[in-house]
Amino acid sequence: MSPGRGRTGSGRNRASGRMQSLSLPLVPTLSAFLLSVAFPPAAPAQQSGDDANGTGIPVTDQLVIDTCDQCHAVDDDGMMTRVSYMRKTPEGWQQSIRRMVTLNDVELEPETARDVVRYLSDHHGIAPEELRPARFEVERRLIDWSYEEAHEGDEDVDRTCSSCHSMGRVVTQRRTKEEWDLLMSMHRGYYPLSDTQGFRRQGPAPRGATDARHPMDKAIDELSGKFPLTTAEWTSWSATMRPPRIAGTWALRGHDPGRGPIYGTVEISQGADEGNFNTQIRYAYARSGEQVERDGRAIVYTGYQWRGRSFEGASEESALREVMMVERGWNEINGRWFAGDYDEFGPDVTLVRADGPVVLGLHPGALRSGSSATVTVHGANLPTGLGAADLDLGPGVEVVSVTASAPGMFAAEVTAAADAAPGARDVFLAGRPVPGHLTVYETVDRILVTPEAGMARLGGGAFPRGYAQFEATAFSNGADGEPDTDDDLDLGFVDVEWSMEEYSAIFDDDDIEYVGSLDDNGLFHPALDGPNPDREGMRNNVGDVWTVATYRGPDGTQVRGRAHLIVTVPLYMRWEPWRVQMVPGGARRTSDMGSQR
Amino acid sequence: MDHLKAINQKARRIQEHVAPGVPGEVAASPVAANGDADLDVVALESSPDRSGPHIPLGCSLVFAPGWEVDSTGGTAGLCQPVERDLFDCHLACFWPAHVPDQLNHAPDWTGKCAAAQKDWRKIDLIFP
Repeated sequence: MSPGRGRTGSGRNRASGRMQSLSLPLVPTLSAFLLSVAFPPAAPAQQSGDDANGTGIPVTDQLVIDTCDQCHAVDDDGMMTRVSYMRKTPEGWQQSIRRMVTLNDVELEPETARDVVRYLSDHHGIAPEELRPARFEVERRLIDWSYEEAHEGDEDVDRTCSSCHSMGRVVTQRRTKEEWDLLMSMHRGYYPLSDTQGFRRQGPAPRGATDARHPMDKAIDELSGKFPLTTAEWTSWSATMRPPRIAGTWALRGHDPGRGPIYGTVEISQGADEGNFNTQIRYAYARSGEQVERDGRAIVYTGYQWRGRSFEGASEESALREVMMVERGWNEINGRWFAGDYDEFGPDVTLVRADGPVVLGLHPGALRSGSSATVTVHGANLPTGLGAADLDLGPGVEVVSVTASAPGMFAAEVTAAADAAPGARDVFLAGRPVPGHLTVYETVDRILVTPEAGMARLGGGAFPRGYAQFEATAFSNGADGEPDTDDDLDLGFVDVEWSMEEYSAIFDDDDIEYVGSLDDNGLFHPALDGPNPDREGMRNNVGDVWTVATYRGPDGTQVRGRAHLIVTVPLYMRWEPWRVQMVPGGARRTSDMGSQR
Repeated sequence: MDHLKAINQKARRIQEHVAPGVPGEVAASPVAANGDADLDVVALESSPDRSGPHIPLGCSLVFAPGWEVDSTGGTAGLCQPVERDLFDCHLACFWPAHVPDQLNHAPDWTGKCAAAQKDWRKIDLIFP
């Protein structure tokens, strides 16, 4: 702590200190007892095959049976203890198998592990409708999300789980009630402090409380009700699930935070097995024109869960992990491609089938009244030789000349009349509607910096850096001249000058001098991890700052927007099963299964 | 607050810290930046635009204070430096998703580094 700076003693420290005095002498005894309850090593646990939430999913694959049945007995109906009574994402199954290897001494070849993950993800997976509300978890998105809002969840249940990990880990699973109960037991066995950290109430229920259950008991009841093993969604999906028919040419549109829109194509070809695919990815950044060529491989689990990895040339550092959903109808695939030690980089992408002409979007999406610009419509298989009359930009916007007409794009010089009515116009190219709009505006009145609340992690010494990318979007106040109203016009990504300001959380706050720097592209580079001897109390370089975007209009006026950035401490464990870690100093840390997908 | 007058040192510091000409004003917005940053004092106990702490990540964690942020959604109340608290968390398995636990995943985590505040570069990143 830093006396005199207004920083109070941390609850974490106080609590852990208290727990230490209690738990250290007890840890061996307590953990041995709980482990013996949760993990009887010799005798496989008996599990009732009859549950109010479902009767289990038989395991029929001999490799899975042979791999797991030393501990997980299979009954005459093909029900395997534990495994038959839960459904998870591929990442969830990977994580479980890793735990079996690292903590339960299972010896498993990586190839076998991958086949087991494949089978379990396909046959004990979750349906598209079940995953969709929680896809931020597998797509590793930094978003604001509320269990209470998303699932009408109970606050105590939320706290019970998210005190230690994301609720996304919970809501991407389905289990019988007995299984949710056993999951709680597993946590209590591995992490005895979880009892006092949130699983059980310390002391009697508050006077007058209508619900005297412990939080973990509330959680078991709620989770088994909201996320049961047997659901209409899974029954429907699993009955008709088949390997996806997605080989062919797809048009790509996306947005790379900090760098703007991307357009291109993805050639998907069938791999060695059903569900395996190879990809050739070609795209360009609309703003800079930079061309990107990537090649990759992917597996589609559960008939719709795309998990892939692509590279630019032979550069392993260029790897992007691809997590996407193949939409019902087989005409769209969407999701996120990402990289970075905290998965902080990478575009949101949408692939649409490109058997014929496809119009993807236009850039730029906004034009100041009385000004001219080159507007480019991006697509795939577009007709060539189009003329000015083929581009309809709506009232008040005139096409002056065509500068390019190729299969992948159509570009034209356009002018917005000085008296053009402000507003968004639908755009048509050769009679086809263009996704998005061309917005005519008079002034930039507001700048929104996103993410509005960002987070970076210190690194570069012993642990990797976690960067934070910000970008600025311009808005015009619209016809009513008032900000933050429904008629505001979204003008899209704009170039701004970036700077930082102190977020004064305490008197004489000086975080800005330590946390790191924000570059010209809105990318925050965090400072070094470790105690800083130059800082009072040897504090780390943590802190809170504003990231400020300043837009300068053609008439010299300035408009500013800002976002809150938290620069915080590293993580000392990484649970993501796919992660291949390059750490400062060139050392490579990974897991047996981590480098495959 | 125009009718209030600072009568002690702390109150005067508050008055000096907020914007000149706007006595007593404590205001901040995560999106509106239309003036001098000195206008803003986002104190530990205040969250001007929010009813509760803002945890900046769907996958974030909510102890009070938490690992990434304190109970107000900032970093000022975190235990610092984190290395001071690290082995305590490890031994007590207090932050099992953030810090390797000594019971199962990393019983020898402290083997190469007896004093985290001094030897923090020797601490291993653990893939459980």
